[in-house]
Amino acid sequence: MPAEEIFYLPLSDLAKRIETKKLSPVELTQLYLDRSTKFGPRLNAYALLTPDSALEQAKVAEKEIQHGHYRGPLHGIPYAAKDLLAVKDLPTTWGAKPYADQVFQYDATVIEHLTRVGAILIGKAAMIELAGGMGYRFASASLQGPAKNPWNTNCWTCGSSSGSGAIVAAGLAAFAIGTETWGSIICPSAFCGVSGLRPTYGRVSRYGAMALAPSMDKIGPLARTAEDCARVFAAIAGHDPKDRSTVPIDKGAFTYSPSLDLKARPLKVGWLTNAWPKLDSGVAKVLLAAEKVVRKFFGGTKSATLPDGPFEDAANIVVSAECAASFRGLIRSGRVSELTDPLGQISGYVNEQYSAADYLRALSIREILQKKMEALFASFDVLVTAAQPIPATPLETNLETDLAFPDPLGAIGNLCGLPALAVPCGFTENNLPVGLQFVARAGDDFAVIQAARTFQAHTEWHRKHPKLA
Amino acid sequence: MNSKKGSGISRREFARRAAIVSAVSVLPAGSLPLDSASSKPLPPQSPDAPKLSTESQAEADARYEAILSHYRSRFSDTQKADLYRLCLLAQPSLDHLRAYPLENGDGPALYLKPLVEREKKAEPAAPRATSPAAKRP
Repeated sequence: MPAEEIFYLPLSDLAKRIETKKLSPVELTQLYLDRSTKFGPRLNAYALLTPDSALEQAKVAEKEIQHGHYRGPLHGIPYAAKDLLAVKDLPTTWGAKPYADQVFQYDATVIEHLTRVGAILIGKAAMIELAGGMGYRFASASLQGPAKNPWNTNCWTCGSSSGSGAIVAAGLAAFAIGTETWGSIICPSAFCGVSGLRPTYGRVSRYGAMALAPSMDKIGPLARTAEDCARVFAAIAGHDPKDRSTVPIDKGAFTYSPSLDLKARPLKVGWLTNAWPKLDSGVAKVLLAAEKVVRKFFGGTKSATLPDGPFEDAANIVVSAECAASFRGLIRSGRVSELTDPLGQISGYVNEQYSAADYLRALSIREILQKKMEALFASFDVLVTAAQPIPATPLETNLETDLAFPDPLGAIGNLCGLPALAVPCGFTENNLPVGLQFVARAGDDFAVIQAARTFQAHTEWHRKHPKLA
Repeated sequence: MNSKKGSGISRREFARRAAIVSAVSVLPAGSLPLDSASSKPLPPQSPDAPKLSTESQAEADARYEAILSHYRSRFSDTQKADLYRLCLLAQPSLDHLRAYPLENGDGPALYLKPLVEREKKAEPAAPRATSPAAKRP
């Protein structure tokens, strides 16, 4: 097999080779480390590479597998974690200068889970400072500078899981962990042409993760395929006494096996007609073709519409108020001025001004919205639309003015904690990826996985990868 | 709290202060006492500023003044103009939110359910017990 191909193998293929001892975890880790060393800096993809500890973990994995102790499909698989997840004794900068020297003495629960199944952490992925909670105007709002899109390095990866998107798209690791409060997994997945799962709120413990808006923060994987996302999700999902927002023990865990087949149940699919007021012409063209595939392989697909209401406003206020509370010390001390982005330096002061009455009103509207969405999901198992209305933007784009568009589905999905999975569905004329997203009711993560797997079983877009110079 | 020893405030005094605070919070922005520096004119509005009602404009202006009353020295003139723009931009969301009909009985969607449910169940021995991936071949 050409060396280039191995970097883009899905987890199932890598796992099979590792389990049958045809591929050494040490060799695979070294390959990804070499590639990450070469391309990571060019893409501003990593906050930190950890070659020593990665190779140490890989040697342990190799020894265990040689002795017949194979832990499962992530054993010996190299990955990267967004730099807002605590890893013992390593810097965890949250992408922001005020926290550049921050080191935790414990692992985030997600890291613990991945370590226990034998996955190998090869580095911390770059990210937008404070996951964009303070607002940002430019892609450069990161300690590492703007993350460059492997499909076109003059373009951005989207944020805030910017490094995670670049790493997976460039084949620098088998998968990466990202987080989403509003758009931070789905958008990088769309811009970078990779698969990304935003799990149901409460399915994955946030213990050891930076808090931005605690009632909306979620952790999920970016990977080659929907199936890969499912495998990683199965490893990281579950109740955690250390994160009181995780769902109860009997509802939190997720078991995935490819034998739970694509026809596990016939999905009732709704094609959203009002998710995006306007689509870029290149995206619209690709989406039209994707809609045909969806309608062909999901019999009985019907048009669906999102409920109308001030749901983006409510989501805005929840994020702003909770973020102001999460970073109150940073704002009050004035150290917020050390952030890179001019918007990030000041918007926290505005966020502090929201009243408790307005915040609670937003939460009341959230409950009404949850009921409206439950009613919609009485007719549909999965809703489908474009993951983003535009392809990747140039690095120097003013995001505040030129990337401002209504995003009712992002607001609704994140306000209600709904699972979503974005997968590549084509390319624009400029060879930039376009993503399709599947959204389901809270708790039904399997529905988005089943739907996205079905789409990928009939398309080849997830097998495309950029040529890196 | 021990009001008898003078280290705290009495219930009556607490109620009196609360009444004053709540009255102040509903005063129009223009009637709030302004420090000498805050009497400076507001920065000019950018062309993309939202069109606001008189009440909403006053609220946005008051928000800007409130920030400056705490942190004025931290901002350059450019940042103050940007801050004022952000204060104005925040207002339409609040107006939309407040215009949405809510009944007194509409409860907030607080995420307390997992906590309540967990209290009825025994705590797991360890988080890993819930993750099946480690056990799968």
